Amino acid sequence: MAWIDFLDLVQSVMDGVMFGATYALIGIGFTLIFGVMHKINLSYAAASVGAAYLSLLIVSVAPTPLVYLLAAVCGGLLGALIYFVCFKFLPLNQSLATLMSTVGMLLVLEEAIVHATAGMPQNYPALFADKVFNVGPFIVRGDLLFVFLLGCAVMVSLKFMLEKTRLGLATRAVAQQPIAAQICGMSIDQTNASTFVIAGFLGGTAGAMTGAAIGVLSPLLTLPLTVKGLVVTVIGGLGSIPGAILAGLIVGGAESLFQFVRGVSERDIYVMLMLFVFLVLRPNGLFAAPSGRE
Amino acid sequence: MDFYIGLLQVIGVHTLLGLSAWCILHTGQVSMAQGGFFAIGAYAAGMLTAMVGWSLGPALFIAALLASLIAIAIGFPALRVKGLMLVVATTAFAEIVRLVFFNLKWQVQTPNGPIGPDGGLGFGGIRYFPANAWSGFEILTLIWCLVAGVMLVLWLLDRSRIGTLWRAVGEDEVAAQSAGINLTAAKVSAFGIGGAIAGLAGGIFSHNTTHIEHGNFTILLATFAIAYPIIGGLKSLLGTLVAVVFIQGVLIEGLRFLGDWRSLLFGAMILAIMLIRPTGLLSAPLCFPQFNSKKNASVDDKKIGARHA
Repeated sequence: MAWIDFLDLVQSVMDGVMFGATYALIGIGFTLIFGVMHKINLSYAAASVGAAYLSLLIVSVAPTPLVYLLAAVCGGLLGALIYFVCFKFLPLNQSLATLMSTVGMLLVLEEAIVHATAGMPQNYPALFADKVFNVGPFIVRGDLLFVFLLGCAVMVSLKFMLEKTRLGLATRAVAQQPIAAQICGMSIDQTNASTFVIAGFLGGTAGAMTGAAIGVLSPLLTLPLTVKGLVVTVIGGLGSIPGAILAGLIVGGAESLFQFVRGVSERDIYVMLMLFVFLVLRPNGLFAAPSGRE
Repeated sequence: MDFYIGLLQVIGVHTLLGLSAWCILHTGQVSMAQGGFFAIGAYAAGMLTAMVGWSLGPALFIAALLASLIAIAIGFPALRVKGLMLVVATTAFAEIVRLVFFNLKWQVQTPNGPIGPDGGLGFGGIRYFPANAWSGFEILTLIWCLVAGVMLVLWLLDRSRIGTLWRAVGEDEVAAQSAGINLTAAKVSAFGIGGAIAGLAGGIFSHNTTHIEHGNFTILLATFAIAYPIIGGLKSLLGTLVAVVFIQGVLIEGLRFLGDWRSLLFGAMILAIMLIRPTGLLSAPLCFPQFNSKKNASVDDKKIGARHA
């Protein structure tokens, strides 16, 4: 392989790892909800894209950072909505019921997006799109770097929230042992709902970052984001937040690598095969979830 | 009239797909791989009749067999994991199958020009039915005979020892294992039979539409496949049929007068059904949503929920 090809390869992996921050955020959202409720919320990625769409409402009047902020807030609101519609009134011992209700929600959200925008892709504002940094022989795109740094900032604040606040303590307690948490006076309903809101914040940010990195938002993003988010969750280990972060970056990088080597149409085959390798070699993921539930 | 015949054909094919997912859900596993087996059956049967020139019967048999073998091969590693991990693993499998067919180019020359899968353009010209002058009604009869046959076989299976084993594994794996049931055998056999039915459904589907492409076999199709038995209720085979008629007949075709709003209502209806009948349409006892969450989810419920998740 020529030196210039090698540089291109490293360059595309770097871009992929930075874009992987969005996968990491989606994966964290799945993991958080799985951690406290032991349920999958399949409508999560659709809600994230939906939140980014909602933030487009103010794109013509507000500066770009406010648009991102609105996306996060809308994500939180959608998270609360999903909890109340799809989870709160369903019997918790019917794990198939919540699976199906979130699929229904996914379809509703996707169709609502198509309905509102007539299916046309919408431009999404990026920050620092015209900035380019040269690091040695490599180029770092300003907008991708911003997306990466924003993702890191959100993850750090999530860690702070989970470890230093009362809400985080309650979330971890309910995830670990719901009955004991209830005995200690924590409301499971309230904790679950606030976990959905927090996951929604992350999702809204992830949706906005995806839009910013790609430049457009499209309803076609929801299914691939859902699949990639689930892949990240499983590779990282169910319920493990550091695992989801690392797996998100790995999946982002691997995706770019395979795209560079094998082309865009075969890229996802290898990403999925990678998942199978992980399932065979490390069925519990990179970081096994903290034990103690049962 | 043609419209209704077409609709009944679609309902028949989707019933087969739903039944294939029913087998696997019966053992308590959620598999998103049904869309993948369906695609394998569709491509295999189409290639056998259009490219090799076989007649339909053997082609369908080979398609079902192939899908079943791949299901068993996939079942052994995939069934080591369960719950969410299995959902993701099978989703990944279905996506791999779809992308392989997206990239598959393999055409043979026939008197009517090249025929075979052509990558992203799809696989057209599976003209077995038109070439042999089958009328829509005859195709319909064939499809529903197959549906009836598969239902009969599953009904008998459900009443035999195998059905009991499947149900025992589905109800409680630990209890089943301690009663000496071989979990792997039960799950893999359900996977194999489900794969065969999905392959059969795919073979019929490709001949009925004459043109298939990777876009027919997305995650959405797999979601539908598991949605039918869940919405219909796992207790009975008829539930799956009722759910398919409800979704394909009422929600997709019956609401056409709503125009664009139809698809929006579609998801909302699925949501509403799960809220009103969390265990499926055809399952006793009738229960209404209890909006008092304390009554709804007792601590015992949560314990059970935690263990089942």
